[in-house]
Amino acid sequence: MKILQIESLTQRFGELAAVDNLSFEMEEGEILGIAGPNGAGKSTLFNSITGFYKYTGDIYFNNEKISRLRPHQICHKGIARTFQIPHLFLTLPIHENLRVGAHFGVRSHGAEEEEANMNDVMSLLGLQGKEDIITANLNLFDKKLTMLAAAMATKPKLLLVDEPTAGLSPTETRDLVALFKKINKELGLTIIIIEHLMKVLTELSQRMMIMVNGRKIAIGPPAEITKDEKVIEIYLGRGKHA
Amino acid sequence: MKALKLSNEQLIFYIVFGVFGILPIFLNGNLAIMNILTMIMLYAVVATNWDLMMGYAGIFTFGNVAFFVIGAYASGILAMSLGISPWLTIPIGGAITAGIGVLISLPCLRLKGAYVALITFALHMILEPFLKSDMGRAIGTGGAQGLLSIPPLSIGGYTFSSLQPVPWFYVAFGLSLVSLYVTHRIINSSWGLSFVAVRDSEPFAKSLGLDDFRVKLMVFGIAAFFTGMAGAFYGHFVGILSTRVLGLDLFLLLMVMQVVGGMGKFPGALLGAIIVTFANEGLRAAGVYRLVIFGAIVVAVVVLAPDGIMGAILGGGKGRRLDRFRRFARRAFGKETSEAGDSV
Amino acid sequence: MTHELADVVISGLSSGSTYAVMALGMALVYGISRVFNFAYGSFYSLGGYLAWLFLGHQIGYPAALACIIPGLFFIGTATERFTLRPLRVRKNWEMLAMMSTLGLALFMDNLYLAVFGPFAKSLPVLFEGAVNTAGFVVSMQDIATTAIAMSIIVGLWFFLNRTRHGLAMRAVAQDMTGSEIVGIDKDRVFSYTFGIATVLVGAGGILLAPKYFVSPLGGWDILVKAWVITAFGGMGSMLGAVYAAFILGMVEAFVAWQLGLTWTLLIWFVILIVMFIVRPQGLRGSWG
Repeated sequence: MKILQIESLTQRFGELAAVDNLSFEMEEGEILGIAGPNGAGKSTLFNSITGFYKYTGDIYFNNEKISRLRPHQICHKGIARTFQIPHLFLTLPIHENLRVGAHFGVRSHGAEEEEANMNDVMSLLGLQGKEDIITANLNLFDKKLTMLAAAMATKPKLLLVDEPTAGLSPTETRDLVALFKKINKELGLTIIIIEHLMKVLTELSQRMMIMVNGRKIAIGPPAEITKDEKVIEIYLGRGKHA
Repeated sequence: MKALKLSNEQLIFYIVFGVFGILPIFLNGNLAIMNILTMIMLYAVVATNWDLMMGYAGIFTFGNVAFFVIGAYASGILAMSLGISPWLTIPIGGAITAGIGVLISLPCLRLKGAYVALITFALHMILEPFLKSDMGRAIGTGGAQGLLSIPPLSIGGYTFSSLQPVPWFYVAFGLSLVSLYVTHRIINSSWGLSFVAVRDSEPFAKSLGLDDFRVKLMVFGIAAFFTGMAGAFYGHFVGILSTRVLGLDLFLLLMVMQVVGGMGKFPGALLGAIIVTFANEGLRAAGVYRLVIFGAIVVAVVVLAPDGIMGAILGGGKGRRLDRFRRFARRAFGKETSEAGDSV
Repeated sequence: MTHELADVVISGLSSGSTYAVMALGMALVYGISRVFNFAYGSFYSLGGYLAWLFLGHQIGYPAALACIIPGLFFIGTATERFTLRPLRVRKNWEMLAMMSTLGLALFMDNLYLAVFGPFAKSLPVLFEGAVNTAGFVVSMQDIATTAIAMSIIVGLWFFLNRTRHGLAMRAVAQDMTGSEIVGIDKDRVFSYTFGIATVLVGAGGILLAPKYFVSPLGGWDILVKAWVITAFGGMGSMLGAVYAAFILGMVEAFVAWQLGLTWTLLIWFVILIVMFIVRPQGLRGSWG
């Protein structure tokens, strides 16, 4: 089932087209990796999908047009996201951060469901026992986990993850990758992940999309993409691993 | 005896209102002090709701004195020109103010920080010329003279009088108690969580399903409602109303109450109202230097103790200092024996 | 009729240029350090009062200014150091900064009241007389004020765009973290930005004092006006502030001519609201 359809998405800042006539589709349960040089429009794409930016073109989620909706409405439709730089409610403890997602991101639920949801997410992400720590005092990895946990507490069908491994150690990166695999398999969550680390993308994604200057220059399975001449020319370079 | 599970905030709240509730008994109807206490009750409402907007929701608002005045005029005009009982015009005044609060929030929804401050301050600045204008006089504001004979409250045959401060005090007390209690409940509810979320990180909050427009509208509406009611009561209490209330004095005083009390830390504004009002009276002896000292105190408090009184009472983290005191008190009254491992 | 119109235009230019100087100060501080200075009006009055003090002791304008300008800079940097810098470590520092400057305004205004009394003070004009060309009469003071204000603006432009300090300020305005990474001392930049802004608004106070007098609460009007102008131009934008100042200065002159000076702020606010609806980020929107 085509869970997401992007049609001719164009997002302009003044004269500059940050995203230029982009179209692609995704199947439910798929993991799509997006890579590209800085300024390629990847984060702008996320901001457009989630309603933070206005754009021309259309986006369909579960065959429903979500193009003109505001961010909170898009969350209610089932799309959640994380941010490149950890955005958190720094004055609140972890469980209150999650509660915002669990309470406001999920329509019509009871208090018990909410607690159960939060506990499930916390144990899935390994945050048990840390609920009462004020998020301002967390290390980077835990901050990112909290941001992810809050997003997941909204019970999304599609998760957009923006450069999750930035600033993490190799061990933390490995743990995070395993986590995404688990979420995708166990919950059937469709994921789009923006990343710079090719290793992470090739391991996680079923398909990859390379963006340059707001345009899609290639899309396909990692094996193909990494061998694509255009991609190598513009993005990957001809080093040992290309 | 089952111990009451009260949070630190609730404890302070009940102690203060408890004391205020019985204070009049010891004051022998001393007019001056009773009036001060009544004003403290009103200031507590305004400052608390202002703090709800600024400290909790992070909205830079300078329109709250305007809300106070709008409520006062609305209630006064309705009572004077339509003869409606003040018991009704006070809540109606609050409702009218709430409506205006929601209206003024509309241009602020997409704006941040200093811009919102500017728009809400514009409300304050426009109010005086409006009240004095022909249009204002047409709806009964009394122009530059203002309202000169606002009817007082009355129950049954008894009409409240400015010579009998105690009934006035208890009505203000009731208003303040209810208003602050409601604020307390709001803060501890999911609404309160939504305010803090939008304050701490609006994008994150939106991505988690919060409608930031609705949150802001609600905060404006709620704060304007209670502030307007406090203003309405004030009008009937004092009996006359003019645009002098819109002067800077009240504005600055209320801001100071929030800072001294501790912003975003209920019931800081209540404590701030008490402390600042008494300090203001106490400093009258300093004559022209009163406000100079006040200003210096404000800067000192902001720079040296930015969490205000509540920060000082609660100590770092979630109320450790007060917790230690409470454990000590419980043990002192024999309700609890110390356990191994306790350190106090 | 044309004479009156010319008067209005000249008046608009003159006040526009002075407003530009003061709005630039506010735009600088807000654009670079994100601080909203509630005591801005009090510093405006400070300039006027200091000038009144010096001139009252028979010190001529040149000598007085030579002392006052550096004095204002020093007071500005000291104020920033003690009432604003300590706040930056806190999460809600923007709000605390507002409160701190609010207390400062309370302190300063009432200090003026206590020390100088409630009656407005006037300053002698810089230049006597008037110029009479082609039938239009312009006071020398107005010409001098406009000329001085324009020079200040040009001087500021050079400073910002042609000196290292100016470059540092622009860098911090654009990207606080980035500029720290390349070794710019943010704290020092905030400090002398505030000092410069104090000089600008204090100078405005001195320039306008002969016409509008100095009084303890006179600064609030200036605070609100500078605020409206800066918001109209785009809160952090230098060029926007200048454009806005001239536009709104001209508007004020026309309003004063047709309706009376008391309507100025109301009309300004209406224009501002319209701007917010049409283009919420102001004329220029950001640093630029």
